[in-house]
Amino acid sequence: MEVFLLFVLIVALLLIGVPIAVALGLSSTLFLLIFSETSLAAVAQSFFQGMAGHYTLLAIPFFVLASSFMSTGGVATRIIRFSIACVGHLRGGLAIAGVFACMLFAALSGSSPATVVAIGSIVIGAMVKAGYTKDFAAGVICNAGTLGILIPPSIVMVVYASATDVSVGRMFLAGVIPGILAGVMLMATIYVMARVKNLPAGEWQGWGEVGASFRDAVWGLLLIVIIMVGIYGIPGITGAIFTPTEAAAVAAVYAFVVATFIYRDMGPLATPAGQPNRSLFRHPWVLVTGFFHADTRRTLFEAGKLTVMLMFIIVNALILKHVLTDEQVPQHIANALLTAGLGPIAFLIVVNVILLIGGQFMEPSGLIVIVAPLVFPIAIQLGIDPIHLGIIMVVNMEIGMITPPVGLNLFVTSGVASMPMMAVVRAALPFLGVLFVFLILVTYIPILSTWLPTELMGPEIITR
Amino acid sequence: MQDRYWRRTRLGRLIDGFEENAMAVLLGLMTLITFVNVVRRYLFNASLIWGLEVVLVLFAWLVLLGVSYGVKVTMHLGVDAVTNLLPSGPKRALAVLSGLLCILYAFLLMKGAWDYWAPFASLDVTSGRWFPTGFTPTRTRAFMETDQVPMPEFLQFLSGLINDGDRYGKLPDVVPYAMLPVGVALLLFRFIQATVRIVRGRTDTLIASHEAEEALDELYQTQDGAHRGRV
Repeated sequence: MEVFLLFVLIVALLLIGVPIAVALGLSSTLFLLIFSETSLAAVAQSFFQGMAGHYTLLAIPFFVLASSFMSTGGVATRIIRFSIACVGHLRGGLAIAGVFACMLFAALSGSSPATVVAIGSIVIGAMVKAGYTKDFAAGVICNAGTLGILIPPSIVMVVYASATDVSVGRMFLAGVIPGILAGVMLMATIYVMARVKNLPAGEWQGWGEVGASFRDAVWGLLLIVIIMVGIYGIPGITGAIFTPTEAAAVAAVYAFVVATFIYRDMGPLATPAGQPNRSLFRHPWVLVTGFFHADTRRTLFEAGKLTVMLMFIIVNALILKHVLTDEQVPQHIANALLTAGLGPIAFLIVVNVILLIGGQFMEPSGLIVIVAPLVFPIAIQLGIDPIHLGIIMVVNMEIGMITPPVGLNLFVTSGVASMPMMAVVRAALPFLGVLFVFLILVTYIPILSTWLPTELMGPEIITR
Repeated sequence: MQDRYWRRTRLGRLIDGFEENAMAVLLGLMTLITFVNVVRRYLFNASLIWGLEVVLVLFAWLVLLGVSYGVKVTMHLGVDAVTNLLPSGPKRALAVLSGLLCILYAFLLMKGAWDYWAPFASLDVTSGRWFPTGFTPTRTRAFMETDQVPMPEFLQFLSGLINDGDRYGKLPDVVPYAMLPVGVALLLFRFIQATVRIVRGRTDTLIASHEAEEALDELYQTQDGAHRGRV
């Protein structure tokens, strides 16, 4: 009963415009002061330990940083060029290339809105120029952008792993097949629509262009190779090389080197658009100055800001999580559901609905911190695989981002394409249908998520 | 967004510069230390034993320092779908109310932060459950040290100051935890400032509606302004 009041208070605070972090933290603190013995000092302690005591969450700032270096303009352009070279000649090719570019970019960044901004700001305009309607272009990118949190590395997965103590490495692997499947489903839908509506096709530019654009983009794409090989090793040759957190830090340093010294889109070797970049060999001292250049500082600061924003929500959600665990709320709900005779299928539907509604109000990682500990013990009792549950939750977050009225990607797309929100909602609807089908597939075919991690990392041990 | 933060005074610019540089340096150090440790482990089979502990403390410092900056530049996320439907009068009233709630939050956290940190600095905690009503004599915890972080000599004066002259072998906990009361005090200060701004009518919100807001603003600036959706 008291816990019910707690949730009412949180929602009320959210709706009157209190920042999410404060709504979670204040409600939990008040609850603890009124109904328990916990002191304010303990609350402050868990605030500090939210960062200093969570090795897994430490991956977040590093992934954010890697993605900030990779988002500095040039990488997105190169990936788009490569995508167009590969699939641009198909009917509806530019749209398919847009989805493909989103998938590749998602592998470099852990965030969906970042993917929409980076790819959408270039592709939507190009599609309109090539004769697509703006609605179609916005709908495609809005949906494909959500792949950012499903294709590893993904910040939301790091948060899930940290909240439920499953392995980050397994979660990342589990996202690979569903991520590719979602991308292929979107591309196939576009291809069919393009055939029916007779949408424009680009010209096949030959294998030369595929090779050239690949060579140009490969430095960026290598980032995902470093992360995956680092976390899992090369099968048969070497074991894991780093922890996911270390992999994220290595990726951040690598992304800095690529952006500053190889692509030279930022830092001391960058020049205004159109002019050739300065050569590293003629300016060897930039190997030192590059670390202190204004662009480097700015990127570090921007990544720091985004980290702060996410972590402020996450630490407060952690305080709420303590309240829920202390009150044994998950156990109570689990018992109620089990005595009501709820099976795994009905349970998963309930999870889907909770997340779709919650996703309207909350930032995805904060929502995961709160919901994961609630549903996790129940899922284990019902025999649902923890990794599978994680993927279901991530896919739900994805769909939450494009469900009206307040999906995050809808906002961002409406900004990128300068279209009104409602127009974006309408434009995104057909593809939203595709993602719904995808959600059902992922929810009821667990092997899609669990096969790859089990194959590469061995069967997991589940302690009940 | 008419309420985007802008820098008014020379002092304001100075403080902004300090906060922004501090956040950049903290994140840069975290990344470099972690990276160097990976390299050392593989190439030299050695590692900085204090590396992880320091990185985690820097992480906490980054966030504690950053949250108050976040209030200043209105970047913390919230839900504005409902408040945006209201006419400006009630909207402002709700904004003031949420500002007061934020102050209450920061105030409670401030008491908690002091109570948690004070024993490590040989100071007294406050009495009272909700609000500080005075000080209670508290047994010191100033002897507690971090696990692995070496003690820099220039901080050794702390041993005379709070630890009865016992030299510290490792960095005492009082140092990393100090950012907790400092960061929360700044947060409280910025929430008060933000609420005053709302009362005076300089802005009407405490929150940003999504994390890409700034990236979009930048995009608008680079595009020609002719067909933008909003300003």
